[in-house]
Amino acid sequence: MRRRLIAGLVTVCMMIPLVGCSGKEQEASGEIVLRIANCEEYIDEGDWDEEETIELEDGTTILGENALVDDFEEWYEETYGQKIRVEYSTYGTNEELYNQMSLGDVFDVVCPSEYMIMKLMKEDRLMPLSETFFDDSVEENYYSRYASDYIKGVFTDLSMNGHTISEYAGCYMWGTLGIVYNPAELTADEVAHYAIFMNPKYAKQVTMKDSIRDSYFAGLAIRNAEEFQSEEFLAQPDYRDVLSERMNDTSQDTVDEVEDILSDMRENVYSLETDSGKADMVTGKVLANLQWSGDAVYTMDQAEEDGVELAYSVPTECTNLWFDGWVMMKNGIEEDARKQQAAEAFINFLSRPDNAIRNMYYIGYTSPIAGDADNTLVYQYLDYNYGAEDEEEAVAYDLGYFFGEDAPHVINAPEEQMNRQLFTQYPTEEVLQRSVVMRYFEGDANDRIAQMWTNIRCFDVKKLFRK
Amino acid sequence: MAFTRKQLGIPYALFLLIFVVLPLLVVLYYAFTNGSGQFTFENFAQFFTNGKALGTLLYSFVIALITTGLCLLIAYPTAYFLAKGRIPHGAAWLLIIVLPMWINFTLRLTAMKEILSFLEGNLAYHPFLNTIIGMTYDFLPFMVLPLYNTMEKMDHQLIDAARDLGASDAVVIRRVMIPLSMPGIVSGVTMVFLPAMTNYVVLDMMYNSTYIMGSLIGSYFSAYNWHDGSMISTVLLLLIGLLSWISKKAGADTEEGGAIL
Repeated sequence: MRRRLIAGLVTVCMMIPLVGCSGKEQEASGEIVLRIANCEEYIDEGDWDEEETIELEDGTTILGENALVDDFEEWYEETYGQKIRVEYSTYGTNEELYNQMSLGDVFDVVCPSEYMIMKLMKEDRLMPLSETFFDDSVEENYYSRYASDYIKGVFTDLSMNGHTISEYAGCYMWGTLGIVYNPAELTADEVAHYAIFMNPKYAKQVTMKDSIRDSYFAGLAIRNAEEFQSEEFLAQPDYRDVLSERMNDTSQDTVDEVEDILSDMRENVYSLETDSGKADMVTGKVLANLQWSGDAVYTMDQAEEDGVELAYSVPTECTNLWFDGWVMMKNGIEEDARKQQAAEAFINFLSRPDNAIRNMYYIGYTSPIAGDADNTLVYQYLDYNYGAEDEEEAVAYDLGYFFGEDAPHVINAPEEQMNRQLFTQYPTEEVLQRSVVMRYFEGDANDRIAQMWTNIRCFDVKKLFRK
Repeated sequence: MAFTRKQLGIPYALFLLIFVVLPLLVVLYYAFTNGSGQFTFENFAQFFTNGKALGTLLYSFVIALITTGLCLLIAYPTAYFLAKGRIPHGAAWLLIIVLPMWINFTLRLTAMKEILSFLEGNLAYHPFLNTIIGMTYDFLPFMVLPLYNTMEKMDHQLIDAARDLGASDAVVIRRVMIPLSMPGIVSGVTMVFLPAMTNYVVLDMMYNSTYIMGSLIGSYFSAYNWHDGSMISTVLLLLIGLLSWISKKAGADTEEGGAIL
């Protein structure tokens, strides 16, 4: 999974050698071969128990019997009358995927994060989605028909090299960056700021992710905290643009200041965790942890099973709006129309609301698929998960920005869900007002930040002489 | 059908070629080229002028040194008593010491962490100490085994003879036992010291977020900087080569000493 690094355990890449499936062979058998690379554990692999069946209000039942990839092969042949074979492989991180592709692995469809999509766009390695993909009148164009307008808007606002992300990528999962915390020990005010990680009161009881980009984001937010919360700043007409600019600042001076902040932070935190954060929160060793919303949901679910209640907070300074998206690789598709159709059909198949629900259930992350006034499966799924049983104690949670005002969009949920899984999976519109997409750092900027991180992590010889 | 010795060696030679020699050549290629593929010594110079890289080298060296010292200190008497102590069920005791090696070491460390948390309260206050404890725990069997093997073959009569001739305990240890067990010490030290310099998993698990050589190389690779990462690997390789050469020499010298004895 994108956000879950498995420390130390050598990740065995299931790289199927692609020898022997040359174009000629494909033509001979009439079978399309689609090479898909995705993060580990980032798709429904089926095999659910009977009792896991999701029963929605309108009588729809959803159960992952087979892996979604197998279902796709079957669906594609039924729908398009062509045989398809998926060669599915996985990778651990965006960097691993990039390195694999640099070393000669060829894929047709891959699922990187926003900054890696931008890097690949910059290098002109992506194939744009076809016009047909965006045609709402075609029944099978589930992505175009059902993805939330809000997310689509984010995709059209972001551009690289004069092209918008939406021309190249279909969003797969999205979310925010925030703090998972133990509400029994910490107050909501304390976790409303990234500075909690520097608070000596909680020395060695809070933990950060071992990640350059996320740490840089948190450090930058701390550096700018006071300004970001000032009334003048918030009142600016182009507030969101300024915020985005400031949170993508990679000038040397800024990087140096963030380095100082992060050096102090490293001394204060319990650790820079790779995969221990969840367990340490359940045992109570750690009171707060910087996490991606998708992982936060998983952490809360796991803690709940052990009888510990955790909550999620999105700091008031700002948050990182992140997403992973499916893109087509130029060197894989090679302008083969049949292949491109299959690749786009795959993105659409994953965007069919029932399949989106299967993935959300299996992974715990949030899909951009919202449905519309006629297809309300995703809304029903939310209601099924979070709807309050006792209507009197319920709070109306408005997700109009996501589902659209014309479709049902208010969930009546128990009050506790206002800072738990429901809020984590689907933040309020107000939270998204202060969200920023962290762009890909190009060339020198990337080097500066990588160097900053090395500086923080390496043993400083000068320290010996200072004492 | 009979195979000649040469033919029997083919599988291993192939293995060496594909998984040792070729990757090594790739590392060397990257270490001595720059981004545009030109030959350069710049990466090399950069390593030795980079305070952070040298600091990491020092840090790794210190960790490895302390770990090896502790392992030796614990393993030496243990191996001696197991091999020569005439304790009942010696083989069973050896098995108990070797047994942990059968369990995946991340599992062992997880268990170790719980015990340390219980003793120390909050692990995060003692990252260096915990790293040393974790490493020592992890590598101890690798020190005990070679020492045990050498000591088992050691002729006990030589020690008795030294005593009969009036040598004190200290002299017996210094002049007889240590020289005789030198081959075991050398192979034990090699098996502990070198991996301890790069084993960053123990640091990660013990919440020590300071880089050692292994993690530093990894950090360069994940920033797509193959050249500097490969150079650090090459420097490490040279160091390992140097250390093996020294230990081999030390081993050879003592063999001569043993003959004189």
